[in-house]
Amino acid sequence: MPKVILTGSIRQHAGGLGFVEVGGDTAGAIIAALEASHPALRGWVVDERGSLRRHVKLFLRGAAVTLEAPVGRDDELHIVAAISGG
Amino acid sequence: MTELLIGTKKGLVVLRGQRGGTFEVGARTFAGEVVEFATRDPRSGLYFASVTNGQFGPHLFYSDDPTAKWQQAEGPAFPASANAAVERIWVVEPGVDRGVLWCGVAPAALFRSEDDGRTWKLVQGLWDVPSRPQWQGGAGGLCLHSICPWPGDPNRVAVGISSAGVWLTEDAGKSWRSGVKGLVPRYLPEDARQDTHTHCVHNMRRAPREPATLYMQFHGGVYRSDDAGETWIDVGTDRGLPSDFGFPLAIDPHDPNRAFVIPLTADADRVTPNGRVCVYETRDRGASWRPLADGLPQSQAYLTVLRQAFCTDGGSPLGLYFGAQSGEVFGSADGGRTWSTLAARLPPVVSVRCA
Repeated sequence: MPKVILTGSIRQHAGGLGFVEVGGDTAGAIIAALEASHPALRGWVVDERGSLRRHVKLFLRGAAVTLEAPVGRDDELHIVAAISGG
Repeated sequence: MTELLIGTKKGLVVLRGQRGGTFEVGARTFAGEVVEFATRDPRSGLYFASVTNGQFGPHLFYSDDPTAKWQQAEGPAFPASANAAVERIWVVEPGVDRGVLWCGVAPAALFRSEDDGRTWKLVQGLWDVPSRPQWQGGAGGLCLHSICPWPGDPNRVAVGISSAGVWLTEDAGKSWRSGVKGLVPRYLPEDARQDTHTHCVHNMRRAPREPATLYMQFHGGVYRSDDAGETWIDVGTDRGLPSDFGFPLAIDPHDPNRAFVIPLTADADRVTPNGRVCVYETRDRGASWRPLADGLPQSQAYLTVLRQAFCTDGGSPLGLYFGAQSGEVFGSADGGRTWSTLAARLPPVVSVRCA
């Protein structure tokens, strides 16, 4: 099952976990499964339209990917807060 | 004890102190995040904080103790049919009926809660106003920032939107009509001023003792309505104000003739005029304004005070409080006659409300 790696402040909405294993064959499906298993994450990674928030990045095998990216069962999907702010 | 909820660019600051005395930081929560607005519903005792995380978006939280754990509300969030996402949560306002609250967001929309603010639903009637596709935002985005319930009548609400004017409902939000007669959008060419959805309302407040009376700080203009927002009367021109541009507005909840504004120099120069910080008061419904500056910085002070950063405490004499982008919070316990600095080195202040 793919592993979602949570970094930084987003962890507090997943009970402090650093990673969560959820099913799904695309990044979008995995985020949806993550929200289902941890409802406090709803609205944080993707907005209510299902769009990835502008300053959130997904990384898979060392590269930034979109929600449509296929994910293998042994992959690790990293949710990263982009470097931004003021 | 007086408790002030200070929304800042870097967290929520709870200031506590005695009216007329010194104040101290009692708590700081949501550290590092933008707290756009914080308030307390006196009916339920619940505190609300609108928090915009730089990466993870806007979220609304509630708590019965601002120094303890906060819960995330369910919403406000648009239904899938709206094909929109909340960008910023501007204001939370208690309604009239038990458990009812209203919430204004960007892109300009109104949400309603019937369970003391724990869950929220879009007010579809305002979302479906036919002119909506033509609505445009100002520098702060297309935002619904002012919500004016009608004390005693849960069906009547007025909302102010930048830059889409005033909208009025008399059926609890099912249908809406524009209320902009008399407003002059000087920032538009004369032949383009007829539209009812191009008016940049900066702030709007209703007088609770005389609900048909509303005051407005406009984008260039200060106005009063005596007919519940249908028509507006210019009370800003040649009445003693140094400028009719600004954002903050407060009213005396006990006296519909009394209102306060904090003018800024102009659209193109959004700081206190002439390096002086000054609140202006009217006691005659805007016929005249007089400065209240005793204790406020009167030289080399170029402050910006945002639209949600000014409030009263409803006491007698009236307490007045405002904060600036420079990180200062000022207060008066005697209706503005004298002022003191309650905090001097906070992050930029976005909102001020008395709990």
